[in-house]
This record gives sequence, structure tokens and C-alpha cells, in this order.
Amino acid sequence: MFLLQAMFWLIFTIAIYFIFTLLYRLLPYPFLIPILTCTVLLVILLTSFDVSYDTYFSGGKVIDAFLGPAIVALAYPLYKQRKLLNKYKNELLSTVLLSSMLGILSGYWLTLLFGFGEVIQFSFVPKNVTTPVAMEVSRMIGGEPALAVIFVMIAGIGGAVTGPWILKLFKITNFLGVGIALGGASHAIGTAKALEYGQEEAAVSSIGMSLCALCVSVLAPILINWL
Amino acid sequence: MNLKSNLFITILQLALLFGFYLIGVSIQKLFGLLIPGSVIGMVLLLVCLYTNLLPEQWVSKGATFLLNHLPLFFIPVTVGVMNHLDFFNGKSLWLIPIVLVSTWIIMITTGFIGQTLVNRKE
Repeated sequence: MFLLQAMFWLIFTIAIYFIFTLLYRLLPYPFLIPILTCTVLLVILLTSFDVSYDTYFSGGKVIDAFLGPAIVALAYPLYKQRKLLNKYKNELLSTVLLSSMLGILSGYWLTLLFGFGEVIQFSFVPKNVTTPVAMEVSRMIGGEPALAVIFVMIAGIGGAVTGPWILKLFKITNFLGVGIALGGASHAIGTAKALEYGQEEAAVSSIGMSLCALCVSVLAPILINWL
Repeated sequence: MNLKSNLFITILQLALLFGFYLIGVSIQKLFGLLIPGSVIGMVLLLVCLYTNLLPEQWVSKGATFLLNHLPLFFIPVTVGVMNHLDFFNGKSLWLIPIVLVSTWIIMITTGFIGQTLVNRKE
């Protein structure tokens, strides 16, 4: 019975992913990105049928197993665009550094301004980097990893949904600007969005996301200690 | 026949990418690194491609398959939000717009500066 349920949620997730991807192709509104529509539908269904996340994940873990190798696969667009990335390495490195500093500092000061306690504040700081790094960083500086994951998701999904409007509003159309904005602010989910823009944007985005993860894990403990 | 061999090649390449991921995770655990194993695996694959240790054609099909469906692989993790729904009430609700504002600050600043730097170079 348990196995059957796990199988059901596994197949169901894949099925709605393909349905919502098709819908998104027909109606390409940013708020209809499959990751958002699928997550919302699944959370509504699971909570209304009283299915626990553990039960869902016993099927979902089969899909989750592909996430790691998919991140590894990002090396491929990086390699394909190696000439371009090499040409703009200074621009990339400086925007990565800026992106990491802005994420840490704005997170720290905004939560301070609104009077949130230290645990929330320190869980909030690493929100713009990829989940495993954000969890570790938050743990290191005295936050709560489970909270960090929530903030990482809001930064990722929120950034991927609103990103196209923000970029259009500020007339950011160039491949490096789009790539670094999405990868630096919305990590891997932003990079999935950058793939829709093109190979060059995706390459900048994936290198931006990886370097920001490295940069934040080094900078966050230092900056927090110093503030 | 062609379709069959194509599928076979893609599966073999997926196995290779899984291998890189597992090596990355082992390195991360062995040295207790902060960087996730997947990112280490990505760097390793990049080094192998750069040094021609691994021909591009050996991963192109598998990588393209995974990247085409990248959003799908996030869903099981993002659904985990359901365990923290009680977090989103009262004052904590304000944290959602604060995350967005902070994220927009990064996007606008880095996007604009990145674009300006590239345009100035040309």
C-alpha cells in the first residue's frame, strides 16, 4: 500500500510537470512557471488529503535523485561557452562578488530593520545561494537550516517569476546582465529560468550561481562576525 | 534502431553524470567541505572537458536531457514547504516581501552593472 502510494505520487508529479510545462508553453506568463504551479498544486492536494511530506517524498525521492547529476550537467553549457566566459572573466568575478555582498548585507540589514530575532536573521542571510550551501552557512552563523530552506525557495521561485519583469523594467537585456541577475539572485531556479533566455545567459547564470555559493560560504561568517 | 541506440547512449551518459555527482559527494564528505557535492562534481566534469580527458560527445546527450527537465527535479524539494506552512502567519509573513526586495536589489544592481561593464568593453 505504501509502495503503491509512493509510486502514485512519483507518476503524478511527472504527469503534472508535463501538463504544466505544456500549459506554460501555450501561456508563457512568468507566474505560470511549472515549478511554481506544480508545487502549489501538490501542497494543496497533499494537505487536503492529509498525506505527509515523508509519504510524498518516498516517491518524490526518485525525481530528487536527478537533481545532483543535473547540477553536474551545468558544466556542459559552461564548457560550450568557455570562450565567452573567458573573455568576460573580470566582469563575471566582479559582479559575483557584488552579488554575494549585496545578498548578505541587504538580508542582514532588512531583517534588522524590521526587528526580527537573531535566529531568523541568520537563517535569512544566505537565502540567495543554492539550498545545501544556504543550509550549511545558516547553521555555521547561528541560524536554523529549515528556515533557510524556505527563504531560499522564495528567493528562487520569487526571482524566477518576477525576474523577467524586473529585467524588462530596468532594460537589462544583455546576456551577462540577465545571466548574473538570475543566477546570483535566484541560484539554480534562476538558472533554469536563464535556460529559457539562451545558452549564453544559462552559462553566465550557472557560473554566477556556483561562484556566489562559494563566495557566500566564505564571506557570510566573516561579514556577520564583523557587523 | 536509431531511436533505440539514441536512448541507450543517453542512459549511458546519465550514468556517467551520476558518477561525477557521486565522486563530488564523496570528496565533499571526505574533506568536510561547505560546497555541495553537486557543485564539486560540476567543477570536476568541467576540468575533464577542458583538459580533453573526456570528449564533449560523451556527455552532450545526457546533459541536454537533464537540463531540459531541470525544473522537474526541484519539485520534490520545494514541496517540503508544506511542513512549514504554519511559519507563514503573523509577523513572519513580512519575510516574504523582504526576501523579494533583497532579491530584487541583487538582480537590478548586478544586472545593470554587468550589462554596463560589457557594453563599455565593446
